Amino acid sequence: MISLDLRSFRYDDGAGLVDIAFTLPAGDRVIVVGASGSGKSTLAGLVAGQFDAGQGHRFVGTLTVSGERLTFDGSGSDPRIDLGAWGAHVGYVGQRPTARLSMVCATVAEEIAFGLANRGVPVERMHALVQRIAERVGLTDLLERDPRRLSGGELQRVCIAAAVVGDPGSLVLDEPFKGLDVTGRRDIEVLLADLRQGGTSILQFEPMLPSGVDSGSRVIMLVDGTTVADGLGVVEGNGWLGNGVGIEGVLPDKGSPSAWAVTKEESAVLIRGLTFSYGEDPVLSIADLDIHRGEAVAVLGPNGSGKSTLLQHLNGLLRPTTGTVGVLGQDLRGRSTGSLAATVGYLFQDTDQQLFEATALREASYGPRASGRSAKEAEQLALQALDDVGLADVLDAHPHDLCFRQRRLLALASLMATGPAIWVLDEPTVGLDLRGREVLAQLIRRHTRNGGTLVMATHEAAFAEAVCHRGLRLEGGTVAERLQY
Amino acid sequence: MRVRRRIFNPLTELTLAALFVVLVLVINNWRFSLAVLLLVVFPAAVTSGRAGRIAVVFGVLVGPMLLFLLLLHGLFFPEGATVLLDLGIAAVTAEGLLFALSMGTRIAAFAGLLLTAVLSMDVSELLATLTHRRWNRKLVFVLGAALGLAPLVSERATEIMKAQRARGLVVTRNPLSKLRALVMVGRPLIAGLLIDAGDRSRTLEARGFAGTVPRTSYRADTDTTVQRTVRWVMLAAVVVFSIWWYIGRAG
Repeated sequence: MISLDLRSFRYDDGAGLVDIAFTLPAGDRVIVVGASGSGKSTLAGLVAGQFDAGQGHRFVGTLTVSGERLTFDGSGSDPRIDLGAWGAHVGYVGQRPTARLSMVCATVAEEIAFGLANRGVPVERMHALVQRIAERVGLTDLLERDPRRLSGGELQRVCIAAAVVGDPGSLVLDEPFKGLDVTGRRDIEVLLADLRQGGTSILQFEPMLPSGVDSGSRVIMLVDGTTVADGLGVVEGNGWLGNGVGIEGVLPDKGSPSAWAVTKEESAVLIRGLTFSYGEDPVLSIADLDIHRGEAVAVLGPNGSGKSTLLQHLNGLLRPTTGTVGVLGQDLRGRSTGSLAATVGYLFQDTDQQLFEATALREASYGPRASGRSAKEAEQLALQALDDVGLADVLDAHPHDLCFRQRRLLALASLMATGPAIWVLDEPTVGLDLRGREVLAQLIRRHTRNGGTLVMATHEAAFAEAVCHRGLRLEGGTVAERLQY
Repeated sequence: MRVRRRIFNPLTELTLAALFVVLVLVINNWRFSLAVLLLVVFPAAVTSGRAGRIAVVFGVLVGPMLLFLLLLHGLFFPEGATVLLDLGIAAVTAEGLLFALSMGTRIAAFAGLLLTAVLSMDVSELLATLTHRRWNRKLVFVLGAALGLAPLVSERATEIMKAQRARGLVVTRNPLSKLRALVMVGRPLIAGLLIDAGDRSRTLEARGFAGTVPRTSYRADTDTTVQRTVRWVMLAAVVVFSIWWYIGRAG
């Protein structure tokens, strides 16, 4: 059981949480929803005990886990949380799974067992527990793989397995479905339902309301660090929505059909006989693919089906083992990736990996500068792109000080500033809140309306249907289905 | 075809490498250092399955040092008496070249032994062995994290470089272009590693790493009584030999 009575939690810079209270009995679930920057991750870390009292923040309130009540008054004499003991009762799955790896485990099985080994669980029992949890989250075939070589969705499942394998009694999950495909998500949902039946309480944080929230789940909505709504179950239209929170899977407006003109005569992307292998393992085989100017194409498929691999061929980050890739009539052979940036803009799945400058403005100016524009021109283009994505008021902010939505939109602005005719977006909606999705959908539509091309990998069929003309479903590295929206 | 060397337990391999380093330093003779390089390091690196990587790292780290030694001592050795080539302000002397050879082979053997051991090591197996041997868990982790850091840094740097290339960075063969790319990668790399380090530290603690109960290991113990005995015998032999080398020989 977890109980929180938070009067205030403030960072030294003033941001924080105010007036949040809930009790999470054994076997119950509380879903905390809120837009980017609403304080979800701060609250998740606090309940998971991942803060040092007095170190850069002041916490006033009480936190109770498994009968142990801690009172904080924001003074230097506040109790220190023993994370090891806390972690035995509260499993935590935070964001950025790569930073959660122990770094000293060669296999997924060892990574899952790391916490058990630290607590001295006997070897036979450890093996049995790891096998059992691997079956429940669909990791049995990956147990001997190096965790550093997994896809984002697979790694997320490893983190969840590592958090629940010790049966902690309570679970704090910060966006647990981020990056998971339909199957991976279903496996985790089944696991969470099983855990609840077994008495585990679950505190889940989401930027969008999960569709089909059961009436037994309590939902708390956060806005600017405080509770604005709190109740059992949620139905659309009862006044809950708004505040930057939407329901997963609900379609954004598709827009006017007249705006969906595609110039069939001109190819933007032309692929012929493409195969790609890592060593001797073939991972992608696309016989032929034509994408026209003004066309938006979604690439769908489960984790590991080859979506990112296909996308990375479009700007030369990966080169075909056999076959050809052409962009705007030019064969990519012999063209460096850097020289293509003004033609093909690429948004990576991991946003933080592609932000490397000290301010938002410098970040967005990097592309035009690298493409040969003068400093003044580059700044003008960057300012325009930042204005387009709604970041005109954070020009001097450090990218890592922005909330997730702003970081994702900054990455998008950075590619837009170079003016590429082809946008290649890898899972752009993952972790994005309603406002971010609306901005993204508008920008995509404007881009294609102006004759631009979009190729977008996504797990979100509804978003794809709303902004794309057609889709490809990949399975095992080949096109399994062609979809027309 | 790649051949993976998997003869000894990683702790035995690491002990062997460390003892050879001690012998190279104690004996301090270029012939012995060269013999270690050719008869121990070279075959071990070639059969490690990671020969290319070892060669690259060895070249990057040791190559400039060897060149520097050759230039410094080959041309400006103060005790050099046998002049082979007089260049005015500098002179190539036999004594200088011999000193550079002695230092160079020693450094090359030293670095070759450690790089081959570390770069071909199964870190996880080493940590499992140390856990089974009941070594201090924090020491084990520090060792493991240090050994595991290189591939992590390399992977992150590659990802950042990919993102920069996608945004227009063109890296040519020009050294200045490469240097610029290196500087551009360095800042986000360090920032990212520091942010990760904070999250990782809390995650490790929450997963019981700082606990005091005896740790168990998921991996079976691949160490054997024979190898344990051999390690102790080798260690004793090197200690005895070193004492004899410094004291016994003089007497």
